[in-house]
Parts: sequence; C-alpha cells; structure tokens
Amino acid sequence: MLLLDYQNVLIEAVLTERFSGAPPVSIDQTVSDFDGVTFHISTPETKSKIVVSIQIRCYEDLVRYGAEQVLNREYGSLVIAPEAGYDFSIQVDLENLPADKEARDELVRNISLMKRNAMAAPFEQAYQEHYHLKEEASKFTSEEAPQGVREGGEVKAIHYREEEAIYVKASHDRVTVIFSTIFREETDRVFGKVFIQEFVDARRRAIQNAPQVLFRNDPPLELQGVPGVKNTGTGEVGYVTFVLFPRHLTPQRMPDVISHIQTFRDYFHYHIKASKAYIHTRMRSRTKDFLQILRRARPDSEEKERKTASGRTYKAGS
Amino acid sequence: MSTLRPYRNAVRASLTAALCLSNFASQVAERHNVPEVEAKTSPELLLNNLVVARNKDERVLIEPSINSVRVSIKVKQADEIEDILVHKFSRFLSQRAESFLILRRKPIQDYDISFLITNTHTEQLLTNKLVDFILAFMEDVDKEISEMKLFVNSRARSVAETFLVQPEAKLGAITDRERGKARFAGVEG
Amino acid sequence: MAHQTPAVVMDNGTGFSKLGFAGNDSPSFVFPTAIATKAAQGGGGGGSGSGRPAVANKPSFLTGGAGPGGHLSMKRGTEDLDFFIGDEAIAASSGPGYGLHYPIRHGQIEDWDHMERFWSNSIFKYLRVEPEDHHFLLTEPPLNPPENRENTAEIFFESFNCAGLYIAVQAVLALAASWTSSKVQDRSLTGTVIDSGDGVTHVIPVAEGYVIGSSIKSIPIAGRDITYFVQSLLRDRGEPDSSLKTAQEIKEEYAYVCPDIVKEFAKYDRDSSRFAKHKVMQPGGRQVTVDVGYERFLAPEIFFNPEIYSSDFLTPLPVVVDNVIQSSPIDVRRGLYKNIVLSGGSTLYKDFGRRLQRDIKQLVDARIHASEVRSGGAKSGGLEVQVITHKRQRHGPWFGGSLLGQTPEFRSYCHTKAEYQEYGPSIVRRFALLGGPGGS
Repeated sequence: MLLLDYQNVLIEAVLTERFSGAPPVSIDQTVSDFDGVTFHISTPETKSKIVVSIQIRCYEDLVRYGAEQVLNREYGSLVIAPEAGYDFSIQVDLENLPADKEARDELVRNISLMKRNAMAAPFEQAYQEHYHLKEEASKFTSEEAPQGVREGGEVKAIHYREEEAIYVKASHDRVTVIFSTIFREETDRVFGKVFIQEFVDARRRAIQNAPQVLFRNDPPLELQGVPGVKNTGTGEVGYVTFVLFPRHLTPQRMPDVISHIQTFRDYFHYHIKASKAYIHTRMRSRTKDFLQILRRARPDSEEKERKTASGRTYKAGS
Repeated sequence: MSTLRPYRNAVRASLTAALCLSNFASQVAERHNVPEVEAKTSPELLLNNLVVARNKDERVLIEPSINSVRVSIKVKQADEIEDILVHKFSRFLSQRAESFLILRRKPIQDYDISFLITNTHTEQLLTNKLVDFILAFMEDVDKEISEMKLFVNSRARSVAETFLVQPEAKLGAITDRERGKARFAGVEG
Repeated sequence: MAHQTPAVVMDNGTGFSKLGFAGNDSPSFVFPTAIATKAAQGGGGGGSGSGRPAVANKPSFLTGGAGPGGHLSMKRGTEDLDFFIGDEAIAASSGPGYGLHYPIRHGQIEDWDHMERFWSNSIFKYLRVEPEDHHFLLTEPPLNPPENRENTAEIFFESFNCAGLYIAVQAVLALAASWTSSKVQDRSLTGTVIDSGDGVTHVIPVAEGYVIGSSIKSIPIAGRDITYFVQSLLRDRGEPDSSLKTAQEIKEEYAYVCPDIVKEFAKYDRDSSRFAKHKVMQPGGRQVTVDVGYERFLAPEIFFNPEIYSSDFLTPLPVVVDNVIQSSPIDVRRGLYKNIVLSGGSTLYKDFGRRLQRDIKQLVDARIHASEVRSGGAKSGGLEVQVITHKRQRHGPWFGGSLLGQTPEFRSYCHTKAEYQEYGPSIVRRFALLGGPGGS
C-alpha cells in the first residue's frame, strides 16, 4: 500500500453489507479515524435506521469556514440533529434506499468520506476566494492592484491535532496550504527531515508540474500575525508549505486535490513507520547472517554427522 | 579506501595477538572466575589498552587482560541519519546478545558495540574464526548502515514523488517516467 | 484534552485476527492472519517453509530493477509495501505473483517480518489510526516466551511509536469476557478456560489472573476436525454435495449437542421431522439439496466421544478438563471447577456447556463418593461445577480485551513509550494484572 485511502474502510464495509439487503441487525460501534476523529455507527431506534455520527477535534474551526454548508450539500436530507457528544450526524433509512445499485454504492462512498467532506470546507472556501481574487486581479496590472487583492484572503487555521494545524490561504495566483508538524521522537524527526527534503526537491528534479513544497523551521511569512503561531525558536515545529498553482486549482480538480492533500500528514507518518519496519526486516536478516558467521567458529559443527538423502550418514569436514 | 586495508590488517593482527587467554581464577574472591577486564580488581592482570583508529570516527579499542579481552567498535557516523541508524542497529543487536555469545549487552562509553571474549570462548570456539567474525562484523555493519541510509533516501524520494504525482490526475503532474509507465502498461495490458 | 481516543484491541490468532476498538461489543474487523507478498526473487531456500522474506541485499533501485517483471515498485525500492493482508491476501494469492504466508503458527508469531507488516497494514489501512494517539492491547497465547513479548514491544514502540502497550494472555481475557454472563457474580480471574478454535483446543487453568502453565492440556480436536467429520459422513451417504464448505455450513447451522446419543438416534428414527434439508448453490449455478441427518448431533459429539472420529486421541473433553483441574494446586481447584469458561467458535454448539457441566459433575461426584466410602462414613460438602456460556464466546479474548481496555485504569496499566526507552524491551516481561485484585 503506497497511498492511504480517503474513505473510512470500516464504515464503507458496514454500510455496503447493510445496503446489500442482509437481514437488519442492530449496530453499535465506535470507530476511530486518523487525527483523533471518532465515528459512531448505531441503530438507536430501529434496526433499519442507521445513524452515523462524527466527532472532530477541530469542528469549531471547520464550522467557521463553512463545514455545515458543505456537509448539508453532501448529505442533504439525511442530516439529523447531532447525537450527544458528536458534532454531526446523519441517518440512513434502509427501507428508503435508492433503488439502483450504483446510487447505493455512491451513497456508501459518500458517507464513508464524511471526515474528508468535513475537512474539505476550508479548502473549498479558499478555492472560491481564489477564483474571486483572480477575477479581481485581472482587472488590474500587478503594481496597481489594491491592497486586498495583492495580499490575498485571510489565513484559515484548522487545529486538527493537539499540537499540529493546517493553515490555508488563498491569493489571486495561488492557494497556499501549510502543515505545521512536530515530532516527538528523535528517529522520526531525522527520518522526517530526509523525507521532507525529498518532497521539496521532487519538483526541481522530476515533476515540474507538482505543487511547490517548501519547508522551514520557523513560521513562514504567510503565518505572521496568525494567532496561535509562535516562533519557539527551538526549531521543534516544522512548517511544510504546499503552493497550489492555478493548474491545480481548476474546479474539475478541486475534489481530488482536496482529498489528496488532506492525507498528507498521515501519509507522511505512515511511510516513516513503514520505513522503520523495513529497516527492522533488514536488521533481522543481517543479524541472522552474523550468527551464521559466528557459528562457523564452533569447532564441533565441522565434524557433525550428516545424513544424505538416502539416509546414510557421513562425517563432514574431515 | 586506501586506508581501509591497513586498518583492517592492523585490527586483525592486534586482535589475534590479544586473544591469547588462559584460565585464571580471581585473586580477590575465592572460587570466583571473572573476566578481569570487566572486574578490574587486579591491575597487574590487565594489559595495555590499544586503539586502532582509521580516522576520528572509525576506531577499535582492544582491552586485553589475562583471561578476557574487550573489543569495542566505533562505527563511522557521518551525519544525523547514520547516527540514528547505528544507534538503532546496535540496540537491535544487543537486544539479541544472548545468541551472540560474545556480544556485550551494553557498549562501553564512546563506542557503539562491544564484545567481551573470555577464555571459555577461546576454548570452545576457534580463535581465528572469532577474529574473522569480528572483522566480518565490522565490514558488514558499515555496509548495512550505508545501505540502510540509501534505502531511507530512495524511499523518501519515491514516497514524495508518489504523493505529488499519483494519482496523476489529482495533483495534475505527470513525469516523463510516469508517462513511460503508462505506455508500458498499455503494452502489457 | 478531555476527549480520549479509544484503545485499540488486537487479537491475532493462528487462523484469524480480530481487530477493533475498546468499548465495542464486537471486533470491527475479523480476517485471516494471512499476508500475501510478492513472490520471493531467489533466496527462497528450497521451500523451507520458514517463510523467510526475500530481503534484497540492497534496495533494488540499485540493481536497476533487475528482478523479474520489472515492476514499477521494484524500480522504486518500495516492493516491501506491495502486499495484502486478510481477505485481500487470500484473493491476491489466487492470482499470479503473490505468495501467501501465515505469520502465526500454533498461536505464536513465527515470522516477525511478515507480522510487522501485517500490523502496519492493520493499523493504517483498516483501523485508520495514528498509533501515537492510541494505546494498544494485544493478546498472546499462554506460555508465550518472554522474548516474543519483547519483540512485539520492539515493533510497537520503535516502528509504530504507540502511546502505550499492554499484552494480555488470551485465556485471562476470555475469563474477563465471561463477566457479562449473569451466572458470574464475582469478577474473579480464577477459572478454567476451554478455548476451542479452528486448529486446536486448549484447556487452560487460570488462578488469580495467572496461567498455571504446567497444567495446560491441548486436544487435537477442534473446528476443522468437526468439519472433516461432517464431510466424511456426507460422503459415506453419497450426498450430492460434500464439499468442505457445505460441511462447514451444515456444522454451523444445524449442529447441536445431545444429552445421550443412543436416545437421540432413537428419537430421529421415531420422528423424521428432525432430519433437515440443506440447499447448496453449486458453482455452476445449480442448486442441490443435501439431507442433514445424524451429523447434527454426532458432529460435536467427537468432543465427548473422540473414538467415533479419531483413533489416536481417545480422551473425552470432560475427562481432560477434570484431569487439568486435578493437576492444578489443590487450593485453587474449587475455583477452577466453579468457573469453567468457554471461548472460541467451536464451543458455540447448543447445549455444549450443559453437557460438559453434566459430564464433569458426574466425574467429580463419582470421585467424591468413592472417597466418602473409603473414609468410612465421612460426608463431603460437595463441589460445585459450573460451565459458563455467554454471548461473547466466539470472540471471547477480543471481547475481554475490549472490556478491560475501556476501563479508566487501563492506561495506567500500560507501558508507555517513555518507560520502554528508559528500561528497554525487557519492561514488557511484566504487566500489572488488569482487572485483577487491586483493580476495580
């Protein structure tokens, strides 16, 4: 597995199974997803009505950037009042499913993307701002553009983890997405550095069309004056900046780009861990080799009785 | 590379000379027989320490005594990543010290890996093969570390490219390599 | 933060892995503990079966993708990520290019390389959690060597940086799972666990949360044998379909335990409504009907009368249980008889517990009676024998883990990454007893 899925596999599996017309059963499962997101799938009233609720650490941030509109757009009539302890809930009535199979699969997929959809709101807003600013900017030459257009939109901060945040900022010619990252562990920090460097270099080396990636240990220019961003000076927090250019910002590409960029942090951490796993594999095999060499130092192993395939024995090493 | 051969030859020669051990009971505690190089209770039983150094980052410390020799290796660590890998690897090995017989669970200060060879070892095992082992070990550790480092770099590169390229439609970038792959895929399919 | 992430509970068994989050009443994922990897290039070692992976001596980008096929991932040095686990692994292995491996044998992890990757995929693909944010509860078989624990800890702390780790013995968790039964009044961790899965059946005495290792007995009769037995009965009768799958379906749907086989045969002969019909869809789309007869009660009977199936193992399960308890320390035997807990899929037959309880009771009463006679008139106070059947039996150990993993004190019983780094892997040789005395 190279890339992470965008959807929650468990929700997908449960709903696919439920929608396939299997006899109704009661469900009550709490499910986690990356970044401390918690789902709750349950059938509180009857077995045919499935409620899916989501709880996101940064829901307040997301609401500020229009998460409710996005979710209402995606789930429309399914939306119900949020379950206690959760931020957003929908209810699916199994007796009232779309008749055709494709529409049902689409519904399953859409529900399993609930986290993605909630997190998409600030990005979508940034896209809209970018379109707006682009139009504004086209009226002026770069020198005489009014302050507001040249500066771009405000920075949207999403504090999606306890110590890490995503910042999104739209300008007339680009959208900037900044991830603040922190490593608790020395090995991860060193590996992370190597990985990030390759992200930064990738554009220069091979992939000219990719978004530009920048990395620095102090808050980048865009984040100056944003509350909650402080320069600790210790270099403990790193800032990874993705610059999305107009070619990534077409309305057709928007949904995929948003899905993809959201997974950056988990993708990044997943691969650091997978690399460590591979290094373990290598070390295990190397350890085996060392033991093999050491075993050669045992004199008795040289004149052991050995058996041939036919069962006869002979003395080796004589 | 020119210094590698003399360095290894020097380690081999010094080690072979040092591995001349005899059974020697403790002079301090009755009915005890401890590696004198570890106990360090009788200075007259210890021989002079010997450092074979290739440069300031790569060296071997040999501490001989009447019934035991301690060999410590400092592995080359050019940068942060090698440093981490050496640390990880030596931890991994000492975790399995049980099966290595001569591996010391904890390296002595300033070194990465230590071996403790006692007279029991030289009695049970072939001394020249033990020397072979330590030299092979030195060589392979270096090799392994540099391979692991290469691995991390190449992995980081493909991970970064994969994220930025794949799925190609998503971030809108197609490399030449990717194009080539698409063509091949067409042929194979 | 007030919000706490739920603990991840993983029960990796020989056949199946059960994964999920603490607090749920069933595992989120149950799939085979199987991993399908790219077929080894060389270095296979003549089918040694040890399943040593093909670790390229150097990342293959150096060799310029010289491996067969010239797959893209090989050129990039990411072939170690090209694998599948669980059901996907089974599916992938039927196609070309992938080989199937089972990293766990007889309950113990044999292939750490595969297991590490299996875990990695379980966590990131299926459970979708950042291990740094979660505590993990893993299980191990009784008598697992402490080195295996250390290896597990090494992987979980060094590769995954998990927040905290607890490793519990499956049998102890199965005992905890039985607390949901109404028959259990005191939440003690003393009892005899009968764990019968697909491959083997274990009888494990546990006293105060500690396994009495010297008294464990295993029986080479379990789910798979019952399926084979049903299949042979179907074949003998010449049923139109006697595939293993059909046999398994019949076993799962119709089988039950009877109090007495002779009487049960007579009942069937009197009342033909007891014979069932089972419909099978054959691959060709043809539907055939298979008669289901005496195997309904004969199938699980091989636990109680092994001679009808096996010629080399002849001790009935109740006798094995009795022997196990008799070989345990005398001061815990009463507790062991009183709390016999079933766990695993092959203990789910209707009335299995009732029959077991009756048979053990008979053995115990006979022995008490004999000693009363020998002592010449002394009266025994009797001995309570109780077999606990409960709803969570199938995934007993997992459910027990879920139950304990959601308790508020669970986190304080875990070893954390900081502790691991301070003391090293040997720290996991000891865990405070979760849910035992001192716990709530």
